[in-house]
Amino acid sequence: MELIDELKMKMIEALNLEEMTPADIDEQAPLFGEEGLGLDSIDVLELIVLLDRTYGIKIEDPKLGKEIFTSVRTMADYVAANRTK
Amino acid sequence: MMKKRITHSVKLTCQTLEVDGKRVAMAVEGEPFLTSLYHAASIEYPKFFKMDLLCKVGFIASEYLLNAEGKERFLPADDRAVLLFNRNSSWNADTTFQQTIDNPEEFYPSPAVFVYTLPNIVTGEIAIRNKYHGESDFILLPEMSEAAMDQAIDRAFLDPATTSVLAGWVEAVSEDDFEAFLTITEGC
Repeated sequence: MELIDELKMKMIEALNLEEMTPADIDEQAPLFGEEGLGLDSIDVLELIVLLDRTYGIKIEDPKLGKEIFTSVRTMADYVAANRTK
Repeated sequence: MMKKRITHSVKLTCQTLEVDGKRVAMAVEGEPFLTSLYHAASIEYPKFFKMDLLCKVGFIASEYLLNAEGKERFLPADDRAVLLFNRNSSWNADTTFQQTIDNPEEFYPSPAVFVYTLPNIVTGEIAIRNKYHGESDFILLPEMSEAAMDQAIDRAFLDPATTSVLAGWVEAVSEDDFEAFLTITEGC
C-alpha cells in the first residue's frame, strides 16, 4: 500500500471519520477549515500521536506542525523524509 | 416546590428507544444501536462519531427528545437549562483512556479519548449543538433518585431566566449496558 493511502486509512481510524473512505479524502485538500476535512485542535493532537506511534516521528517544534499538517500530501512527504519506523 | 410539567420524554437503553412512552426503535444485530438511531433520524453531525459512549447516549436521547418537542431547532436560547445525572461519571471513557497508558512501552495517551474523561462534556455537547446558553450541570448521584433530580430541576427554575429544563439520567457503562431517561420540563 502506498504511504498516502496508508496515512488516509490510519487517519480515518484514529480520528473516527466513520463516514469517510480513503477515496473521499483529497490528498491536496486542507485538513482544517470548511473547505477541507474540517479537523479541529484535538484532531491535531491525535495526528501527532499517530506519527509518533506509527512512524517514530516526534514533532517538537509547533511551527513545523503548521507546515506538516497542511494536507495529507504534506504529511506523507514529511513522513517519507523523517520516519524511523 | 414550584409548578412545572413534563412535556416530553425519551427512554433509551441498549435494546429499545421510547419517545413519549411509545416504542419507536429496537436494536437489531449488525449495526450498533446508537449509530442506527443516528442514521434513522437523518442527523448530520459528524462529531457524533468522535464522541465517547456516554456522549453518544446523551446526544442521541436528546436528539429524539428535541425532535419530539417539535420546535424549530438550533435557535440560540438563554432560557433552557441542561441538567444530567448518573452514578458512574465518565467511567467508560476513563477506562478506555487508561488502556492507552497502561503499557509503558506503548505509552500513547489519546487526546481524543482524554477530552471525554469528564461527564459534563455531555451537557456541553448538547448545549453547543442546540445553542443553549442557560445553566448546564452534570451531577453525580449515589443511585438514580427521581427526588434528587426533581430538586435539582427546581433549583434550576430559581433562576428567573430559566423557563424550561432538559434533564435526566444518562449512564454508559459499556456498549451493552447504557441507558438514558431524559425529559423536557416546562415551568408553569
